[in-house]
Amino acid sequence: MSRSSSSPARVPVEERLFSLVLALLATENGLTKSEILSTVQGYRQRYEPHGDNSSLERQFERDKDDIRELGVPLETVDAPEASGNNQLLRYRIPKGAYDLPADVSFSPEELTLLGLAAAVWREGSLSGESRRALMKLRSLGVEADDPVVGYAPRLRVRESAFDPLTQALERHVIVQFPYLKPGESASRMRTIAPLSLVQHQGRWHLQGIDQEAGGSRTFLLSRIVGAVKLTARVFDPEKYRVDGEAFAERALVELERIWESNVAEIEVTAGTDAATRLGKRYGEAVAAGADGEPVRLTVNFSDINILADQLASFGPEVLVLSPPELRDHVLRRLEATVAAHTGETSDG
Amino acid sequence: MAERRKPMQAQDKLAFLLALVPYLMDRDRVSVAEAAEHFGVEQEQLREAVRLIAVSGIPGETNAYQPGDLFDIAWDDFEENDQIILTHQVAIDDSPRFSAREAAALIAGLQYLTALPENADRDAVGSLMAKLTRGASAAPSQLAVARSETDEALATIRDAVIAGVQVEFDYLSSRGERERRRVDPLRIESVDQDWYLRGWDHLRTAIRTFRLDRIDDLVATDEPITYRPGDVKLPETLFTGTPEDQLVTVEVSASAIALIEDYIPEGAARSERGGVIRTSVRVAHFHGLKRLVAGLSGVLTVLDPPEARQVVAAWAQAGVERYR
Repeated sequence: MSRSSSSPARVPVEERLFSLVLALLATENGLTKSEILSTVQGYRQRYEPHGDNSSLERQFERDKDDIRELGVPLETVDAPEASGNNQLLRYRIPKGAYDLPADVSFSPEELTLLGLAAAVWREGSLSGESRRALMKLRSLGVEADDPVVGYAPRLRVRESAFDPLTQALERHVIVQFPYLKPGESASRMRTIAPLSLVQHQGRWHLQGIDQEAGGSRTFLLSRIVGAVKLTARVFDPEKYRVDGEAFAERALVELERIWESNVAEIEVTAGTDAATRLGKRYGEAVAAGADGEPVRLTVNFSDINILADQLASFGPEVLVLSPPELRDHVLRRLEATVAAHTGETSDG
Repeated sequence: MAERRKPMQAQDKLAFLLALVPYLMDRDRVSVAEAAEHFGVEQEQLREAVRLIAVSGIPGETNAYQPGDLFDIAWDDFEENDQIILTHQVAIDDSPRFSAREAAALIAGLQYLTALPENADRDAVGSLMAKLTRGASAAPSQLAVARSETDEALATIRDAVIAGVQVEFDYLSSRGERERRRVDPLRIESVDQDWYLRGWDHLRTAIRTFRLDRIDDLVATDEPITYRPGDVKLPETLFTGTPEDQLVTVEVSASAIALIEDYIPEGAARSERGGVIRTSVRVAHFHGLKRLVAGLSGVLTVLDPPEARQVVAAWAQAGVERYR
């Protein structure tokens, strides 16, 4: 056997993590922290039997988090004879909770689709999670069909709030962030128990329970104007569940209801960009007019400011007929754009 | 697949090791080349992982990592023939479960893909999501993407891509000009709600990107395409600059910079003052710019050149006139 002897040099991180997972999977009753630090590869080399191991202990705490983040169910078992004594806590990974259930299998066709689903996240947010999920899928040894030709769909989350919020969702912790409500000039700090993140009409929304107002609220991620802070306060999402429904589905139903109940009437000029694009989106039953003719469209929206931005971009190609509030919003935007682009700029 | 292979972080490496062990267990013998291909990693990366697995194990009863407590491989086959044979295993029997976020990422990705015509079979997608949920070690994070309408052009273009035939359609440029275009369809791409066709444009004799919602009267022709997807390299970014592009100096609210990031050329100077960033954007012509700026009123302002400011002002003024 030509196994390389364990060198006194530092053990690579992945070797330490791998050894920890193996040791905790193999133990029936769990290992105490000192057993882990003194015996497991990667820790034992740095363990001082009678000295201070606080930095090694901190290392172990971080490693635990990293391992759990991969979906490995690392458990803490309280010792019945000494409950509350940290030194006697035991750690283990129960095999039943670690192993992918035997009846979860995937066909080559399904793997192809999952490969495409993972590729959707190839930019930024959740790209690491998708990559690791694919690795686990490949572990099953099934070869995917040939990739679907000609597709490269992608979700691109631009909002920096997205990543911390997905973490908070996973850990069930209360978050705080500054939120700029439309029509208000200053942002206000919100304290929220996050329940779901949903994309509706191309926009990401956070739905959760406002801890001050005490009710369910929906926030546009694009209006979270500062860093999202994860607090240490853990909450139980179950107490907010209604009729056993999944939070994300419920949030989507609610957004859809709002979207359908807000209706605007607009006029677009046939043959223009506005007529082509808005007509495709909203105008199924409308006969296209000859170029230059006005065409009426009924448009749904969930946020008047977002629709106003969108309609203003079409300039003279769109005229808002109703509601009056939307008319004002669009007109004010156009006037502001004129004002900002008329005359000399203040410097050179 | 031609995805880029980035160096793995420790967490990724651990996930790889945990995934690789059950794969090797299920095979009596597998070549390094085949396994590397299967996992989409470099061969050397795979060899490294195998070497690490082969010397890893559990402390065992003696706490001394005795040979029986370690994985083992047939070293001769590995070192001489590049073949992997796992001869002893410990602790692991099965593939690991997905984390709550991993399952959520795949589920949300699947929801997004239901916009594709071939995924209209919701039952199949639904059962796949249920399997991912059962395969996760905790309930998947509550992440969802609303079902969006499938652009009817999608199915036609996709069939044309597979059949390798040219498509023809009316296209309205952002300049407001409508032209009949003939295109070798190469790939359908999307960013969130926006879908694009990328292909070889016979009119412009260049690779072009078309918004699906600006396409009208689309037909697939019988004419075979002149360029196959493998012949031409599609740039990673949807829109690529041309020498005729113009640079425009703008000011944008710092909080909204992400909205115009695609238009800012690499290496463009940026200076921030009072929450406002001054930088430059690259545009093919001012007519695309005017729409962008009018849609970001109060957030994005053009400073230079004066002609660009005039085009934007005239566009918005014409909009204002509609309300007089």
